[in-house]
Amino acid sequence: GVALGAWPRLAMEASELWGGAVGAGRMAGGLVRGLLQAGKVPASNILASAPSDKNLDAWRELGCRTTHCNLEVVHRSTLVFLATKPHILPGVLEEIRPAVGSHHIVVSLVAGVTIQTLQRLLPPWTKVLRIMPNLPCVVQAGAMVFSRGSNAGDEEAALLKSLLSSCGLCEEVPESYIDIHTGLSGSGVAYVYLFAEALAEGAVKMGMPGALASRIAAQTLLGAAKMLLETGEHPAKLRGDVCTPGGTTIYALHQLEKGALRATVMDAVEAATNRACDMAKD
Amino acid sequence: AGVLAAHKITASSPDTDLPTVSGLRKMGVNFTVSNKDTVKSSDVLFLAVKPPIIPFILEEVGPDIEARHILVSCAAGVTISSIEKKLSTFCPTPKVIRCMTNTPVIVREGATVYATGTHADVEDGKLLEQLMASVGFCTEVEEDLIDAVTGLSGSGPAYAFTALDALADGGVKMGLPRRLAVRLGAQALLGAAKMLLESEQHPGQLKDNVCSPGGATIHALHFLESGGFRSLLINAVEASCIRTRELQHLADQEKISPAAIKKTLLDKVKLESPSLSVASASKVSLFTSKSKKN
Repeated sequence: GVALGAWPRLAMEASELWGGAVGAGRMAGGLVRGLLQAGKVPASNILASAPSDKNLDAWRELGCRTTHCNLEVVHRSTLVFLATKPHILPGVLEEIRPAVGSHHIVVSLVAGVTIQTLQRLLPPWTKVLRIMPNLPCVVQAGAMVFSRGSNAGDEEAALLKSLLSSCGLCEEVPESYIDIHTGLSGSGVAYVYLFAEALAEGAVKMGMPGALASRIAAQTLLGAAKMLLETGEHPAKLRGDVCTPGGTTIYALHQLEKGALRATVMDAVEAATNRACDMAKD
Repeated sequence: AGVLAAHKITASSPDTDLPTVSGLRKMGVNFTVSNKDTVKSSDVLFLAVKPPIIPFILEEVGPDIEARHILVSCAAGVTISSIEKKLSTFCPTPKVIRCMTNTPVIVREGATVYATGTHADVEDGKLLEQLMASVGFCTEVEEDLIDAVTGLSGSGPAYAFTALDALADGGVKMGLPRRLAVRLGAQALLGAAKMLLESEQHPGQLKDNVCSPGGATIHALHFLESGGFRSLLINAVEASCIRTRELQHLADQEKISPAAIKKTLLDKVKLESPSLSVASASKVSLFTSKSKKN
């Protein structure tokens, strides 16, 4: 479905900002949920649009306002999030183009649509930014990267970063990194789910009940990730720290190496990144 | 390394035609065909014979072992207790040290570990350490780790030679002359090893430091990972260690009749080149630190 995000007149200070990422889609929904959880935005200051009510129900439940009119969103807000499906976007941009002014900040979450394309389809004075989040924004543990278009300046970048940091890690990058981020972290979340499932399955094979195994698997991943982020140590060093000579861990790691896990993971990131590039060309 | 004067070293071998013999003679080492003479004129005895021959050497020199002697065995898979047991008929408290080294001692970049036997004192171990540290790295370990050391640094140079051969092939494939390829490959490994030894950083970090984003190295590493490079190396160390234990186990069980070994091996060994010499060193020069270069 089509959705646009909105804010009432935007103050450039994040503390004065009321708003949220909007889009009836899952990704935008994740961002909004994160923002709401972090208390950055009151739900009533978010206006979401979509052609059907089906998608908008979830937004209303959060307390957001909804509409079926994209233009209304653009008229009433300064910070506009684009969160449509890629093939729908060109039509939407044509629709809202007349209403887009130099005061607007347009932030696209749309996968595979480049800044160049966005700028081509919008008025030449438009401040455009492109962002790629990932699903855990919902629980404020997301990883997001964004790039700025030609008219977006430091203020806009700082605003976006400050807003979205409430959802997790948010970094500005050159646009060429966005597809890589997809392969690493956008899709990467799924790799982790797969790994967690396999861990639990191993435990079940060894006699542990599934539900318990799943929770422990998830907590193990969470804990390991937390240690990585908080110690700042190289993962290889942390791995070595867990490996007592001749102990259980090194035996297990040998199995992982035999299965060429590292190369397989590299292959996965590469495949997803390449696919993102290919899709962008379509 | 200038730790020991050559004339204070005596080497013995039954076969004087071996190339190693003339090599030792050229260095100024005293040479004799009598193991007994070697024992009499020395304080520290390195037993550098092939493992199955150790029992025979011990039988032969056993009667001449005195309290001052330190026996250092470099024989793979031969335990301290087996040596002590063999000597027990001759000497109540033999000083035995077991050592595992590797071939790069030749260029003074050896990797050596040692474990002290029941009657060897701390200073006996330190003496050996001093000696072996002059030809590379040397540290004391518990005896039960020696098989693992064999798998890692004992056999390690072979893994490195194999890698270097292949790296050179890669260079040649991409257009380098063979000699240059070998030289560069060796230098690359030497340099990397040196960086690691001198750095506080984890090898994983050092690897990352070489891999610029989207660059040549990371592409190459992906190939290594796809081929299970890491697991192959782990497998190799494991296989060498396990095999060492197997051989030791076989030797302990003395499955092969000693007489049979003696006949076949001594004959066979005469035809082979290295390692049928019993070299030994004088203790005196070390303690008085009058280390004279030859």
